[in-house]
Amino acid sequence: MKGLIRLSYRKIIDASARKPWDKLVFDETYQELFMQAQLYNQERRYQTFQELLDNVPNASQLHYLTSRVAMGYLKQLNQVIPDIANASGLLCLPFTQFKFEILASHLQHQEAHRIAISFYSDPLTWIDTLNANLVIAYGDQRAAWQAGTEISTDLIALQPYLTLSSFQPISPAPLP
Amino acid sequence: MERKDFLKRSFSSLLGIAAIAPMITACGSDTDVSPTTSTDTGTSTSTGSTNGSSSSNCSVTPSETEGPFPTKVPANFVRSDIRDDRTGLAFAINITIKNTNNSCAALAGALVDIWHCDKDGNYSEYGGTNMQSINYSSVDFLRGRQTTDANGLVTFTSIFPGWYSGRAPHIHVHIYNSAGKSLLVTQIAFPYDVTNTVYTTAQAYGYTKGAQDTKNEKDNVFSDSVATELATVSGSITTGYTLTHTIVVSA
Repeated sequence: MKGLIRLSYRKIIDASARKPWDKLVFDETYQELFMQAQLYNQERRYQTFQELLDNVPNASQLHYLTSRVAMGYLKQLNQVIPDIANASGLLCLPFTQFKFEILASHLQHQEAHRIAISFYSDPLTWIDTLNANLVIAYGDQRAAWQAGTEISTDLIALQPYLTLSSFQPISPAPLP
Repeated sequence: MERKDFLKRSFSSLLGIAAIAPMITACGSDTDVSPTTSTDTGTSTSTGSTNGSSSSNCSVTPSETEGPFPTKVPANFVRSDIRDDRTGLAFAINITIKNTNNSCAALAGALVDIWHCDKDGNYSEYGGTNMQSINYSSVDFLRGRQTTDANGLVTFTSIFPGWYSGRAPHIHVHIYNSAGKSLLVTQIAFPYDVTNTVYTTAQAYGYTKGAQDTKNEKDNVFSDSVATELATVSGSITTGYTLTHTIVVSA
C-alpha cells in the first residue's frame, strides 16, 4: 500500500486527430478561437496565437473563451478519462477536474491548431506496482486496507502522457 | 477492442446492406430509386442488428472503449437566457442588426455575442488555463450567442447589469457573419436616468453599490460617440427593464 493518488492524462489534440470526439473538439475549438481572436486582433495584425499572447493585453483570455466550446464535449465523456484503458481494455478512470490549454494556432491555417486537455482522475488508492502497471483501487480505500478487508482492484499500465499528479500517504507523516 | 476495428466491422456490415440493396434496384430499373422504407404513415423503421435473435446469432456485443459516440453539441453560451445563477432586476435585451451595404436592411443570419457584468460589476471568467470542474454549471454567466432572425433581431433574457469603477454601464457586443468573420466589435451605452434609478433605489434587488462613478460623457469608450451607441431602455424597478437597440454593420 503506497497511498492515495490522482493520475493525470494530458491529451494533445491536433491536426492528426482521427477519433470522432477528437476531431469535433479540434474543429470546434479552432472555429471558436478564430471567432474570439478577432476581438483581440481588430486590425488583423497578428496571425498566430503566440503573436496575440505576446502583443495583445488580455489575449490569454482566449484559453478560457475557447475552452467554453469544449465543455459540451467534455460532458459527453460521462466523467471517464478517454484513451486510458485498464488491463482489460476498458476505460476506467473517473474524473471531474480538467485543464484546457491552447498550445498553438494560426488564424489562417487550421492545421497549426493544437490544444491540450489535462484530465485529473478522482482519488485512487495506489496499492502496488506490478512491472509497468499500477495496482489501484477506486476511491479512498485506506481505511479498508487497514481493516484488512478485501478490496476490488484494477491494473493501469504506465504510458506516455499519463502521470501521477498528487499523492497522500496511507497515514499522515509523523510529526518531526 | 480497438475502436478502429469496431468501427470497421460495424460500418462494413452496414455498408454491406446499404450498398448492395440499391445496386440491385439500380440494375432492375434506372428510374426507380425510391427508398424501400415507407413513410406514408409518417412512421418508419430502420432495422438494426439481428444479433441475439437466435442461438446461432448470439455473439458478444463488442465493448466500446470510447464511451458514447460523440455528437455535435451547441456550446452552453448559444442561448437566449444568459442569467445562469445571477440575480438582479429582470432585463430583456432586443438588438437589431442592420447592414449599411444593403440600404440599411435587416441582416439575417448574423451571429451576435453579448456579454456584460453582473449586478456587482463582475464578469464570468472561469478557468483560464487553471484546473476546472466538469460539474460547474454557472461558469459562463451573462454571456450568450444568438443568430439574427429575418428581421435582424436577437433577444436575450438577462439581469440589469451593475457597474464597475472607471466605466459607465455597458453591454459588449461582437457581431459576426454566419462564417464567423468579425463584422463589428462595439458596446451599448445606457441612459443615465435609468441606471441612476436602478443603482440608487433597487437595493432590494441587490444593487447595493450606489450611483455609478463614471457617466457616459466621461467614459473613455463612449465619450466621443455615445449618440449611436445609446440604447433605449424602458421599464421600472417593479416590472424590470427592456433594452432596445439597433446596430449597423458593414456586411
